[in-house]
Amino acid sequence: MDQSLRPVVDETRGIYRVPRRAFVDQSVFERECRAIFDKCWLYLGHASELPNPGDFVTRKVAGRPMLFTRDKEDKYHALINTCPHRGAVVCRERKGSSPAFQCMYHGWVFANTGRLMVVPGHAGYPADYKEDPGKQLSHAPRFDRFGDFFFVSFAADGEDLATYLAGAGDYLKLVSEQSAKGMTIVGGTQEYSIRGNWKLLAENSVDGYHAASTHSTYLEYLKNANGSTHDTRLAGFGHDLGNGHAVIEYFAPWGRPIANWIPLWGEEGKREIEAIQQDLTARLGQERADRIAKQSRNMIIFPNLVINDVMAITVRTFWPTAPDYMEVNAWALAPAEESEWLRKFRLFNFTEFLGPGGFATPDDVEAIEKCQVGYQASREAQYNDISRGMLREGGSAYDDELQMRCFWNEWDRRVQEYGA
Amino acid sequence: MTREADIDAMLLQHRVQSFLFHEADLLDRWELNEWEALFADEASYLVPPTDVDGDFADPSKSLFYIFDDRTRIHERVVRLEKKGAHSEFPRSKTRHLVSNVLAEQDGETITATASFAVWRSKDGNTDIFVGHYAYQLIEVDGALRIAEKKCVLDMDALRPHARISILL
Repeated sequence: MDQSLRPVVDETRGIYRVPRRAFVDQSVFERECRAIFDKCWLYLGHASELPNPGDFVTRKVAGRPMLFTRDKEDKYHALINTCPHRGAVVCRERKGSSPAFQCMYHGWVFANTGRLMVVPGHAGYPADYKEDPGKQLSHAPRFDRFGDFFFVSFAADGEDLATYLAGAGDYLKLVSEQSAKGMTIVGGTQEYSIRGNWKLLAENSVDGYHAASTHSTYLEYLKNANGSTHDTRLAGFGHDLGNGHAVIEYFAPWGRPIANWIPLWGEEGKREIEAIQQDLTARLGQERADRIAKQSRNMIIFPNLVINDVMAITVRTFWPTAPDYMEVNAWALAPAEESEWLRKFRLFNFTEFLGPGGFATPDDVEAIEKCQVGYQASREAQYNDISRGMLREGGSAYDDELQMRCFWNEWDRRVQEYGA
Repeated sequence: MTREADIDAMLLQHRVQSFLFHEADLLDRWELNEWEALFADEASYLVPPTDVDGDFADPSKSLFYIFDDRTRIHERVVRLEKKGAHSEFPRSKTRHLVSNVLAEQDGETITATASFAVWRSKDGNTDIFVGHYAYQLIEVDGALRIAEKKCVLDMDALRPHARISILL
């Protein structure tokens, strides 16, 4: 690829610059589709979204219509939601429960395993037509789970999911271990979009540096709404998790519905939070329990899965449809056994900061969209700087830019490997 | 229906409609402190997500877009008056169209529904929010006050809208 579209890196001098054309160039976008979204493991959904055999959800993954099902033998399937006959999606509902799907066009019926069951007017076809492998619903070429998180890959070959996740796997476990009974996606999806390049949200999701300026009104709100008794300062570290994944792990002044009690939750809430922490410690030991409960984490799993374990837990994906447009989906993840009281505060917390109606996310959106506007001058003002902390000794602070560099190194490697 | 009941229904309809039009006008003129004063002491302002039944979804059990209690309604207004609320600086232009108002009195509480379309324009983009309002109104010292305002979006998803940074 054109060298001017690649990051400029000099480790010894602490230089890391990203060309702004990488956010606006149509050929870069098309390369990303092939080199990244056609190759990487991509998040499909969470086991809790299919609580019973027969359950299904439909979802778009890297532009493909997908049908995520659980059959009567409790086997999960990542089916491509398109009729092998003429192509219409066979399931037009968002979610539900059904043993089979009938294409509305010519009436072909498929089991939730993908097997073709009924072809109306079958006399017009050879006797063994229904058994033809080419007449079944297609499965994602690869499909695997890590705990309750399901991923697909549209590449037939490549490393297995656990290898791909590298150090991010332990952080997925940290989230899952918050519950003894399993984590669950709480109903209700935040679905929005941003008029900006998808890589801007990848960066923003793990950017500790922007908090004070972008989110000044949120931090002031915390002080107003919760009083000044809770004075944990933002502080922590950034970690390279390998393969482009990265996390920032830090202490923060907001309440967490597993620890970090805040006055708003009252004395009864304090007792419940303490009990949760005691259980966690008994189950996992002091050190791990403290890490899970007291610290916040923002993680990106390359390329586009973000798990923010902050004032609530988000699972968020974002899919580019053009260089300057992405579709965002976000869910709330919570311990299945959580009390009604605490679940309410978790969701109250989630909407406080996160999502299009929160007190912070809209300002992230504004920042991303305004960067995208600035990149229209990318031939004159050519580079972003993400060098912060490169020469810092003793590890990367949570508000350094190591996370972005992890992401961009992997982005560059994959886009280069794809070939000329 | 008696003539008296007819007149009562008309008066209620007129009163609620005027109240909702007044609220829309305050929002479009960005008179947010006056808007906030329309809310009762215990009040909520809710926007459900678009993949659940917004009329019945419970914000304590399902993830919403907006789940504000009275304190947070106040803080939302405080925030929106600041330059640091970057998503609304410079401010959006908005236009709230409210129609199909239906009101029913049940004891102390008035239940009202209305259709809405809200245009938001900023920086060359115009986004339209379409849906219906569900209000619980009460009377406080002779004036109507909002005990609950729920904005149910009649949309598949909040796209291309990136945010609900204005008040719906």
